[in-house]
Amino acid sequence: MFEVSFLFGQFLGGLTTAMFLFLIASGLSLVFGVMRVLNFAHGSFFMIGAYLAWQAVQWLAPALHSFWLAALAAALGVALLGGLIERLLLRHIYGREELYQLLLTYALVLILGDAAKIIWGTQQLSVSRPPMLAGGFQVLGATLPTYNLFIMLTGVAIAVAGWFVLTRSPAGRMVRAAALDREMLGALGANVGALYTGMFVASSFLAGLSGALVTPIQSIVPGMDVEVIVEAFIVVVIGGLGSFWGTFWGSVIYGQVLSFGILILPGFSLFSVFALMAVILIVRPWGLFGRPLR
Amino acid sequence: MKMQRLLLGIFAASLVPAAAAAADTIKIGYPMPLSGPASVYGVPVVKGAEMAVSEINASGGVLGRKLELLTRDSKASADEAVRLARELIIKDNVDFLVGTLTSAEAPAVSTIAKENKIVFIAPTSKTVQLTSPANLHPYIFRLASNTDIDGRTGAAIIAGWKDVKRVATIAPDYAYGRDAVTAFVDYIKKARPDIEIVDQQWPKLGQSDFTPFINAQMAKKPDAVFCDVYGGDFVTFAKQAGPLGYFKAINNRMADSGEVGATDEALALGNDYPYGIWSDAYDPVIWPENEPAAHKAFIERLKAYTKEKYASGWAIMGYASIFALTEGIKKAGSTNSDKVAKALLGLSFDTPIGKLTFNEKTHETDMGEFWGQMVKDDRYPFAVMKNPKYLSQGPYTN
Amino acid sequence: MMKKSAPALVRRIPWVLVVFVAALTIPWVGSRYDTFLATQIAISALFAMSLNLLLGTTGLVSFGHVAYFGIGSYVCGILMKTYAVPFSIALPAAAIGSALGALVFGFFCVRLTKIYFAMLTLAFSQIIWAICYKWNDVTGGDQGIPDVPYPNLDWMSSIPLLGDLRIAQQFYVLTLIVVMLSLAAIQRIIASPFGLMLTTIRENPERAASIGLNVRRYELSAFVIAGGFAGIAGALFGIFNRGVFSDFVYWPKSAEVMIMTILGGIDHFWGPVVGAATLVLLNQEITSYTQYWPFVLGTILLLLLFVFPGGIVGGLTTGLEWLRRKTGRRASA
Repeated sequence: MFEVSFLFGQFLGGLTTAMFLFLIASGLSLVFGVMRVLNFAHGSFFMIGAYLAWQAVQWLAPALHSFWLAALAAALGVALLGGLIERLLLRHIYGREELYQLLLTYALVLILGDAAKIIWGTQQLSVSRPPMLAGGFQVLGATLPTYNLFIMLTGVAIAVAGWFVLTRSPAGRMVRAAALDREMLGALGANVGALYTGMFVASSFLAGLSGALVTPIQSIVPGMDVEVIVEAFIVVVIGGLGSFWGTFWGSVIYGQVLSFGILILPGFSLFSVFALMAVILIVRPWGLFGRPLR
Repeated sequence: MKMQRLLLGIFAASLVPAAAAAADTIKIGYPMPLSGPASVYGVPVVKGAEMAVSEINASGGVLGRKLELLTRDSKASADEAVRLARELIIKDNVDFLVGTLTSAEAPAVSTIAKENKIVFIAPTSKTVQLTSPANLHPYIFRLASNTDIDGRTGAAIIAGWKDVKRVATIAPDYAYGRDAVTAFVDYIKKARPDIEIVDQQWPKLGQSDFTPFINAQMAKKPDAVFCDVYGGDFVTFAKQAGPLGYFKAINNRMADSGEVGATDEALALGNDYPYGIWSDAYDPVIWPENEPAAHKAFIERLKAYTKEKYASGWAIMGYASIFALTEGIKKAGSTNSDKVAKALLGLSFDTPIGKLTFNEKTHETDMGEFWGQMVKDDRYPFAVMKNPKYLSQGPYTN
Repeated sequence: MMKKSAPALVRRIPWVLVVFVAALTIPWVGSRYDTFLATQIAISALFAMSLNLLLGTTGLVSFGHVAYFGIGSYVCGILMKTYAVPFSIALPAAAIGSALGALVFGFFCVRLTKIYFAMLTLAFSQIIWAICYKWNDVTGGDQGIPDVPYPNLDWMSSIPLLGDLRIAQQFYVLTLIVVMLSLAAIQRIIASPFGLMLTTIRENPERAASIGLNVRRYELSAFVIAGGFAGIAGALFGIFNRGVFSDFVYWPKSAEVMIMTILGGIDHFWGPVVGAATLVLLNQEITSYTQYWPFVLGTILLLLLFVFPGGIVGGLTTGLEWLRRKTGRRASA
């Protein structure tokens, strides 16, 4: 009853959503995997990244390739912010109960949300697509905007790069070791403090980058932090808290559920995504692709 | 464990009577969303109201008394708006309530106004529920046209496109979008029985990814679309629909009744705006030809007041809400809500976009909507409304 | 000698009753607004207290407690507004409805630990929110159920003093009675053998299991009881706030009540009450100066986490201990 080109278009749309969510959620998942902190403020980092990118584009406007510079600047700015927050605040609560960790990151949500409002006001803002990615092309009869293709490729590139770093580099081995048993790692003399800071900076960088990259296809408005964090939670839970590839596949599943869900159950997505999250937590709390925690 | 003492202390503290209010100002409580996605509109409405208050006070106030605006952040939440409204009444002794933005806030605050017998003017809430016969009471008034008018004026625009046969709708999935689409469908079926509704999409409010809805709609090959997506959602929608060839596929024949014809969305979208679509606005702000002098002066004052390069299309609602109230007070010769409520019935007052009159039966003004095609104009770096046409409510009311 | 007997004496005073009597005078000695605030504080206190049954007593971090508050307010609101059911039936119905909800959801939640427990409670509360937001015919969708009527309080008019009060003030008296009865019940539960078992579970779940305790069943019982009391708070709040809205169930509200509880201190019975009172009073004070209340709240939260991890009551207790030790040392020297 549906044409192939249409179904393929839905599939591509779902894939774009998925790669965006992966960019956002990968950092959230990494931080949880290593530090066991569920960072509510990850969505706020995403929002700050979007605002910073807009700001940088305003300053750089006449320069060539301003969008790419702006995106990089925004990601680095958020990485710096993340580093500061880890050193000044988060560092002191690793040993405490998760209740206090949740509340600390929630306090950051409140503070960063108002800070963005004080700095950038409440007007809706947006950034134009970089000219070289403004168009679109036809694949199997479906239109794929060039920018969406770029996002998909970026998502895959980050996934591969992340996998490479995690499995092939010394830092990656430490990260995986920390995820399995952090006391042991510390006992073996590894600098766990530096590892945690590095991890959090990387995670903030990814949040900032995804915030910057979203500006050409989404409006920047107050409250986008709270919207996105819930979605990121769902993705991470589906794939498995702390599992890198789990987050990747969790994003892919979530994107397709949203894309095809509106054809089968229009107007029901609000309910179904949370139901999906609950069912997975009940059946496999460690997610479809994760491993049970010890 | 001397906690108990602290506890008693707190209770004792709450017994201290609220500071006696200075009685010589006329206090207007103004709950509005100032944070979250709805603050995009809440803030300019409040700025319009503040400017009106400062202008009125500069010219001596009303009945010899100055106005005082008590603005509060309702967070676009009905429950917060109700709490604030009651706090404003009981603690701050406001004389009147004006404000609220969303279709959930206004009916909720209306019940408080009724209970406390205080005049309440809702500037922008559009839900028909607010003034439906079951909910109408002497103290509730509304400036904006309701969702029926939104849907019907949109239908009138599309009905005018004679070669259109297949029409689709897309609107946010909550009362405001649902009601406007219902009104649209009812009207267009009568006006153009030859038109078929081929698709209806309901993205949620705050949707971040419209692609699946856009694809699904394009697959049904409509000739024209009635859209009620607005605000930040419209910006997101337009940015995602453009590269998918959505607007090209419908030849830009879209009528959006979500006030995306104002500068707010145009400014945010810049050259990503889908030039050629039709939309409405409370105030088109930029009026390339035949701009009324009063409007021109208003926009100049507003820009000076907010220190912004371009004015918002929503400030007019805040501005007019204060004048509606003060004209009522003047006519009543009193700040007594019972008298002001009576005075407001049938009252006419001037605004920068023309004279408005409160209907005695519905408690709504006769405010229509400016409709026009959104076009590129070399004088501005964003879309502007070509020849804004005022569609008055007359032909579209029940 | 006096010093030694004082704590015992303090302990013997029925503080719930003392607070009740003190709070009861507010409509007569305070302004209308004081009564308004006191109603809000009383309901928030019960809500926070019900959460603390999980947080402080049992050691369960629920991030979706607002679901049961929401169920209670919707059940009571729908019964009273749509079906004109009297309050005396609607309130117990709300408590039972919430407790049933908590039983179903809690059954799954208590199987999980720590962060997974928190996430599942969050997911369930969002499911409830989605239902309230979407099910237009029953819940009014995004417009909620405005204009929930006050209960019929005609019986109060025959009582001297009470009869002269406004309906909002009479409702405050009713709220106070319900809240204080609930607090007394919660106090009983915590002090009972069952409550002591919950504390054992919080302190050492493995040990509790090893002495043959069915940990899950105890945790589920606590979850259901907490849900029921949250439902009572929700029912009262819907009437107090003159309407029931889907924002009641949105997840940031869960964070808000958690902040109240921790602000007061989770290790003391009166902590949540102090936290609720402080937060409500602070909120109304600060929002009349600035719209940046979230910023202020976030800063308070940071201070709380780093400077007073035990909350207000915890901080004061430590301070008093320190003072007592200092003065005691001086006396002995």
